[in-house]
Amino acid sequence: MNPEHPIVEYEGVNKWFGDNHVLKDIDVEVDEGEVVVVIGPSGSGKSTLLRCTNRLEEIQSGDIRLDGISLYDSDQDVNRLRQRIGMVFQSFNLFPHKTALENIAMAPIEVKGIPTEEAEATARDLIEEVGLAGKEESYPDQLSGGQQQRVAIARALAMDPQVMLFDEVTSALDPELVGEVLGVMRTLAEEGMTMIVVTHEMGFAKEVGDRIVLMAEGEIVEQTEAAQFFERPKTERGRAFLSRLL
Amino acid sequence: MSDAYGDHETHEETAGSGIVDNDNVLRRVGEVLSSSFALLVLAMLAWIVTTQVNPELLQTIFPRFVEAYLLVIQIVVVSSILSVFLGVFVGLGRISNSPITNRIASGYVEFFRGTPLLFQLFLIYLGIPRLWATGTFPLTNWEVPAAIIGLTLNHGAYVGEAVRGGIGAVPDGQMEAARSLGMSRVMGMRKVVLPQAWRNALAAIGNDQIILVKDTSLLTVIAVPEIMSVFRNVNSTTLDAWTPLLWVALFYLAITVPMSKLVQYLESRADWGGERH
Repeated sequence: MNPEHPIVEYEGVNKWFGDNHVLKDIDVEVDEGEVVVVIGPSGSGKSTLLRCTNRLEEIQSGDIRLDGISLYDSDQDVNRLRQRIGMVFQSFNLFPHKTALENIAMAPIEVKGIPTEEAEATARDLIEEVGLAGKEESYPDQLSGGQQQRVAIARALAMDPQVMLFDEVTSALDPELVGEVLGVMRTLAEEGMTMIVVTHEMGFAKEVGDRIVLMAEGEIVEQTEAAQFFERPKTERGRAFLSRLL
Repeated sequence: MSDAYGDHETHEETAGSGIVDNDNVLRRVGEVLSSSFALLVLAMLAWIVTTQVNPELLQTIFPRFVEAYLLVIQIVVVSSILSVFLGVFVGLGRISNSPITNRIASGYVEFFRGTPLLFQLFLIYLGIPRLWATGTFPLTNWEVPAAIIGLTLNHGAYVGEAVRGGIGAVPDGQMEAARSLGMSRVMGMRKVVLPQAWRNALAAIGNDQIILVKDTSLLTVIAVPEIMSVFRNVNSTTLDAWTPLLWVALFYLAITVPMSKLVQYLESRADWGGERH
């Protein structure tokens, strides 16, 4: 990896849904190993920004680069680029017809062509890492929401991505299950994973985030070091956002 | 106190506001009604079998029904497999982003679902050979291939609609998760969406395949020696209705009952992480 340029780079990104201008001139740079937490009121475009980062949504102007390579370069195979970007969804989206182990090993086997035995060994390690040893043969329906989300994180990690995207991954969980998922994310951050996290968990943002990106109405309102943001936000809107949380 | 909610009869129940309000009484009424109905049917059946069915004739015509039954089974197995296979592609065509594929699949479904099977059978059996000069159509026993083609094309349309519905019921997040892991759309379809769509569509497909079995009775009009045609022959020569009818019922059930068991088995197998674990 080249330390010269950021690992993920948004440059003048604009997106419309019909007449609705949902992303307005987004410029963000995410360095290797950095944890960027995107916060903001609902409908501010946070999730859309994340979904554009692996082209689940298309942008209309600007550019998003992964490790210096444009995602929108027509020479690039989007399926190859996506293998380098892990994504975890609010609704888990585990494959219900596959066991936890199969969910994790499936893409490495099918997409990367890794031998089944090797992929399953890696999957077992990952299951242990997210604290679910013994649940290898369970189907998603037999797991709690928190357990499912941890399997989903392991599934994304199995592709050995350069960056992980988290799209409100604790919003669909019962309150008592939020902690176990945030715990796994905290460990990942400590291990140096580059992460872009859309969340409403301010405790996590403050504690684990390196930088806070505050969005409102499709715009970036403020980008500040996490510690500073929660002490002294630079903008009026940042102050207003924080005061509403208290 | 818990006794009052159990299955035991208790005297407290008589204290209810009205007799029909009482769940237990209603249940008993249902049981009495359904048992009386079953008894009535069984009595009628016994009466018919003893007075109307000719045991000698029953034996004589048995081999002819077996022969027809075996032919029907062969037609059903081939048309069933082909129509499910075709239906998967029709279903995929119906959800295709390509307007060409989509319209062709829709047109296909509209035609084969919108016209009677009997018409389609005539179209294939009588219509197609007419496209050759008289007497030059190369197939002599055209009725069986025509039957298989007709049943396949007709039921392919119904299976296609079941598959389309099954795919539609799979949440979008499944394909998104597959794509986010680097799978192509085709791979996501094959590995993630279709196995789930299959489970969703199984009941409807099973239903349709049982209808396919019964639709073979129409083949009598295109000279396929199937079960109903054996009945018509026996009936017209002996004027006996009940004896051959008994065989007709038994032989159809001998196909459809195992078939619905098979569907049940396939459904239980696709109940991932459900009761069976």
